[in-house]
Amino acid sequence: MAEPTVSLAIDGIRFGYNGTDVLNNVQFEAHSGELIGLIGPNGSGKSTLLRLMNGILKPRLGTIIMEGRDLDKMKIDEIARICANVPTEFSEDFNLSVKELVALGRYPFSKGLWWDTNEDEELVTEAMKKYGVHHLRDRLFSELSSGEGQRVLLAKAMVQCPRVMLVDEPSAHLDLRYKLEVMEHLREMLSGNVTIVIASHDLNLLARYCDKVMILSKGKIVALGTPEEVITPEMVAQVYGVDVVVIKDEDGIFAIPRRTRREQS
Amino acid sequence: MNDTMVGRAKAKLLMVLTIGLFSIFFLLVVSWSLGAVDIPFTSTLGHLKNIILNLGPDMSVAHERIIWDRMVRSVAVMGVGIGLSVSGVVMQALIRNPLVDPYVTGISSGAALGATLSILAGVAIIPLAEFATPIAAFIGATVAFFITMSLAEATGGRSMNYVLSGVIVGIAISSFTTILIVFSRDQRLHNALFWLYGSFSYISWVEALLIILPVIVLSLILLMFARELNVILLGDEHARHLGLDVKRFKSISVLVVAVLTAVSVAFCGIIGFLGLIVPHSARMLVGGDHRLLIPASMVMGTNVLLAADIFARILFRPVELPIGAIISMVGAPFFIYLMIKRGKEYSG
Repeated sequence: MAEPTVSLAIDGIRFGYNGTDVLNNVQFEAHSGELIGLIGPNGSGKSTLLRLMNGILKPRLGTIIMEGRDLDKMKIDEIARICANVPTEFSEDFNLSVKELVALGRYPFSKGLWWDTNEDEELVTEAMKKYGVHHLRDRLFSELSSGEGQRVLLAKAMVQCPRVMLVDEPSAHLDLRYKLEVMEHLREMLSGNVTIVIASHDLNLLARYCDKVMILSKGKIVALGTPEEVITPEMVAQVYGVDVVVIKDEDGIFAIPRRTRREQS
Repeated sequence: MNDTMVGRAKAKLLMVLTIGLFSIFFLLVVSWSLGAVDIPFTSTLGHLKNIILNLGPDMSVAHERIIWDRMVRSVAVMGVGIGLSVSGVVMQALIRNPLVDPYVTGISSGAALGATLSILAGVAIIPLAEFATPIAAFIGATVAFFITMSLAEATGGRSMNYVLSGVIVGIAISSFTTILIVFSRDQRLHNALFWLYGSFSYISWVEALLIILPVIVLSLILLMFARELNVILLGDEHARHLGLDVKRFKSISVLVVAVLTAVSVAFCGIIGFLGLIVPHSARMLVGGDHRLLIPASMVMGTNVLLAADIFARILFRPVELPIGAIISMVGAPFFIYLMIKRGKEYSG
């Protein structure tokens, strides 16, 4: 198998709002076919990092290279043809149906066209089936449960045929079964040489599924490596100030917190 | 093949347009037949045929002259119906609030102040004396629009900033209009009030064409933006994720909507609620896809305003009611219903 190519190279990124740096000298590389987990406490800069990687924000210093090209020099629609985003929160009051919403993912590829092509429709149908929302296709998006809505957004990102996919807290509204299913689907997409960066608070879900995990704390990457290397009791104590027990089984590792306050005996 | 999304969308669009156009034709014939003088429908159709074949009316035939006059009026009504409905649809998408109408930008108050000024002061812009009021209304609308937009942008450019800025600018400008009206106690006052409630009386062919032609051109431009409008429903940041240059798109389309709304109010005055009710009903009928929603709103807006115009003329004839009052009488309860329904959804 060919050497995996670098699809995202982040080099010396600094970014701040109002003079204070939210991200400070962040750098890492992501290869195609990799699922990278991004963890860190609230306010550590996870969402900011995602918004830099999709070109919404511009770094004060440093470069982001996506598929060999400087993100800063790419047009917004060029980025959209490579990079898809799945937001955490999303609401819509305009009577869009599920399939209409999923079909919007084809927009970057069909500017100037009036109607969707047959190919667009096939991709939309396939994605809706994959994420288990095909039976909801004619329902209004606003009537869905948040878990269903999240799966619709994942399907929308999938029809964008992305090479890089940025997912912000995908498991927030999903129940246990769908959490696992979504992660399985994301892993499946990797075989098409996609790079997926996924920010989440769910340490264990990321530990189970990601190739690499990155911990962001106070705007810096404090650890980057395989889940086993990164998610250790010491690291979790340092970043979250929480004591955990890390346990290993055949699927990898998982961390369980100890009670913060022990009862005096 | 027909079960594809596009296939079904096209079928739906065709159905809405067919029924809509058929009903417009029916309302037009009714509208040309009824009024101070009633003309039988069959006779109206005969005169219509003559007018088309002769490329104009035979002025020596009294009924044909009356129909010709009523045609002017209905052309203007259709223009305003399309204009307000389309600008309502687009404004709701741009501000991402399905409960705003195109007047949220302060345009109606600006137009009202301009028109009132010109009517009360008797401003005559030589040699365009005939157009003094529409020109003043148009200028007032545009100025109010830019004040609102600057205020909204300066305060953060979020959906709520636009709504609040529009309300504030609207109230501020309306106070000037109120003061002007208090100081005038003659026939001009009646004219000003007539304009404020919307009126299609005394409209000329030139004016009617000055409404409908720009309205059609601007509406078609907005129709060409249908897919972008769909994308913008996702919110600014998400739309940018999909490769839409949101800032550029918004500044262009907001400008087109402003001109469209200003044209729609300049000649015939303020007709409230139409730009709110029609987009909303059309959305219930065909869904949120602007490729269907804009054409559906165009035919629906035409139908609603034509019907309102007929009622305005025949309900208490020979007294003609302001068309804006008719729409508001139906529109206000409808809006309350929407607020109750929507409000419940939001609180959930």
